[in-house]
Amino acid sequence: MKVSFKLNNKNVTINTDPMRRLLDILREDFNLLGTKESCGEGECGACTVLLDGKPVTSCLVNAVHIDGKEVMTPEGIAQEPLGKLLIDCFDETNAVQCGFCFPGFLVTSYHYLKTDGEKNLNKIKKALSGNICRCTGYQKIFESVMLACERN
Amino acid sequence: MKSIRKIDAIPKLNGSWKFLDDYSYEEMIHGQLLYSTCHHGFIKKIAFPDGYNLSEFTMVSAKDIPGENIVPEPECDQPFMAEKEVFHFGQVIMGIAHPDRKLLREFISNTKIEYEELSAIIDIKECLENQKNAFGRELTIDHRTGKKPDPNWIHHHKIYYTPHQEQAYLEPQGMIAVWQPEDKIMFVRATCQCPFFVKEGVETIMSDTIKEAVIETSEGIGGAFGGKEDFPSLLAGITSLLSYKSGKPVKIVLEREDDIQITTKRHPARIEINSWTDPETKKIMKIDIDYRLDAGAYQTLSPVVLARGVLHAISGYCIPDAFIRGRLFRSNTPSNGAFRGFGAPQAFAAMEAHIDDIAANLKVNPYEFRKINIFKSGDEFPTTQPILEDHLSDCLECVIEKSNYLNKLKEFKEWNKTHKDKKGIGISIGYHGGGYTGNGEKVLNSEVKVVIKKDATVMIFVANTDMGQGAHTTLAQMFFEAIDHPREKCLVQLPNTSKTPNSGPTVASRTIYIIGNLLRKFAFKIKDELGFENLEDYVASNQNEFPREFRMNFVQDPSVVFDDENYVGVAYKDYSWAACVTEIYYHADTYQIELTKNWSVMDIGKVVNQKIATGQAEGGVLQGLAYGLCEFFYKPGYGRMHGFTDYALPTTMDIPEINIEFIHTDTPIAKGLGEIPMDFPAPSVRNAFHNATGVFIDEIPLIPERILGSIKNLELGI
Repeated sequence: MKVSFKLNNKNVTINTDPMRRLLDILREDFNLLGTKESCGEGECGACTVLLDGKPVTSCLVNAVHIDGKEVMTPEGIAQEPLGKLLIDCFDETNAVQCGFCFPGFLVTSYHYLKTDGEKNLNKIKKALSGNICRCTGYQKIFESVMLACERN
Repeated sequence: MKSIRKIDAIPKLNGSWKFLDDYSYEEMIHGQLLYSTCHHGFIKKIAFPDGYNLSEFTMVSAKDIPGENIVPEPECDQPFMAEKEVFHFGQVIMGIAHPDRKLLREFISNTKIEYEELSAIIDIKECLENQKNAFGRELTIDHRTGKKPDPNWIHHHKIYYTPHQEQAYLEPQGMIAVWQPEDKIMFVRATCQCPFFVKEGVETIMSDTIKEAVIETSEGIGGAFGGKEDFPSLLAGITSLLSYKSGKPVKIVLEREDDIQITTKRHPARIEINSWTDPETKKIMKIDIDYRLDAGAYQTLSPVVLARGVLHAISGYCIPDAFIRGRLFRSNTPSNGAFRGFGAPQAFAAMEAHIDDIAANLKVNPYEFRKINIFKSGDEFPTTQPILEDHLSDCLECVIEKSNYLNKLKEFKEWNKTHKDKKGIGISIGYHGGGYTGNGEKVLNSEVKVVIKKDATVMIFVANTDMGQGAHTTLAQMFFEAIDHPREKCLVQLPNTSKTPNSGPTVASRTIYIIGNLLRKFAFKIKDELGFENLEDYVASNQNEFPREFRMNFVQDPSVVFDDENYVGVAYKDYSWAACVTEIYYHADTYQIELTKNWSVMDIGKVVNQKIATGQAEGGVLQGLAYGLCEFFYKPGYGRMHGFTDYALPTTMDIPEINIEFIHTDTPIAKGLGEIPMDFPAPSVRNAFHNATGVFIDEIPLIPERILGSIKNLELGI
């Protein structure tokens, strides 16, 4: 099936099996390796991307779902001003440990900053609840997002 | 204490830092493992599905192994692949590779294996209750006086149970092998903790069909926590064999379900404690601990876990008459292995629970009772190792004060009188010996290498991997801070066994403690040897001397003398100490414990990088709390968990506020940090639940089902 979508602000078209996972399309067809596979069942959030501006786990999204839509990956978000601000905050607090979950956290935090952005711990916890991190205990992730809210 | 930023944070965030699955090689094909779905039995027939062209697949089994079919481990008893008989669910039978990853997956999931089934032990209690299942060497620490307990002493007897725990590193296990026939090198790209273990694994399975195995890690290692200590050796062996047979680079990345089902976990434990306490002095006078671990089907590295377990079994108390017995038990489940804490979290879960049991019985508050019994300088461990500092006691005092423990005890007692929901507060303490146990570091004889280039760049070569703990940032920091060299001119190189000397595995809280302190000494030594004030100036005016290589070995302190036969002597040169207080809110209607606050005070010696250390400690404390609260891997009647859907990891909504403080930091020696945060928190949850409800539960985790059962039993007077 022919699928056309906007990927990190660029129009692209691919020919693919309609059931192919968005995660595989990003990694295999576009070499966008920032989107990681961890659980493969939508639990951990390591493969989170924005689909029409909303965070989704790309392991549960199929090619057929993205036709005519807009996809933003961690690579794309890293180029946006709010993405850059978040990266600097995550870096400053030394929040990043193994880093495998962080592209996903970047995407979800970016969505929070865009849609709400209030420096409110409870709201931030709720916004990030779909992303699992095994290294950090989340404390420094909250600290980073709070810092980004303050500086935005 | 400078919190310099990590070298890898920005590339990890923007997706450019490469983890194992982000590497590809020309003509690379994909591999997967075909493993046993039978717990114990003979393999009768392997039936591949119809409709596939078998000639497109590369397959390897035990009979293809040119070398030895034994994974190198402290106890070499586990084969890479089963021969005729399988001894546990998840035992690898074949490695299979194909250019199409998805097709390979379908092929393997439609392959049917027929077995002649034999009797099997898969239930944890069935394994640990029956003494006939004990295997391997029994360890004892005998510090008995030979005297009978005084009849006035109060006897307490309890059995505590701890579950499996899954490391749940976010990056699954993975390996790429690239056979290079022209020079007979097997190049392996690994996500692992111990490149030299992987090298030994590949060289064992391939034997003299290869000249050498060269292991290089991926840039990013997406978490490990002990889970990437020994399993990578097995995976690398099979991946290498597939590459050798196919003549192509082979990548195996485990699917999460396979990873969670077949790889190593924390050992479930059954710890039985008999203690005798003097009711007058409130001192524990005598103790007998029976420490049992479910090792799985093979011993592998379990003897070493057992050693650390018995050496930490008594927790932090001075008990004049002590006997500790440790044994491994066999079951038909995958071998359990390394997980942050390595036998110590089980020990503290039992002993720190027992301390609260005795305190409740004597009607002393848990803090007072600990204060009376905690060991001090001048006391000794059951191995006779002298206690040289009061830092454990200092951690306890500090955390009691910070958490306002004594006032909260009163406050919660009042609050609970008028509420159906309950508030509770609990204490636990712990410690962790840094580095390999006993004579281990002497045997390892770790070596590090430094190359100083013409532009005064210092390249550090160590085999220790950065799996998220920030080791490569902190190790470089220890070197450049010692000689005041610019940060950007001092870099730890990606571990590669052909370039990096063997500085040992990335385990046992030894990276900063052994290798970091060695690098610091090394920096001073090079400075003395060359006689410089400023390295950049020196290199600029002595260009003909550079590039130059320097090497140095770790020398163990002569005070570390340990009798491995009798478990007597100094088991660890330095200990990290800790104490914590956890507050909970118990929801009576749903039987749920909500963690509200945790204060953890630790002595890890010098803190090299405050933010990195705090972050690592916060993560470890949460793993420890979750071990006490919600994580378990096996449920009778259900079996083993399958992924992140049924294995309950804490999310952002489940966690308390965690407050970390490091004390006694004004010292040149950085001690172990990796494991201590995981060791001690779990029993504080259990103790806080008792404080809230008056109910003791002797098996973690404290999930609602278990609480419901215990409370029902209590109401029924059972």
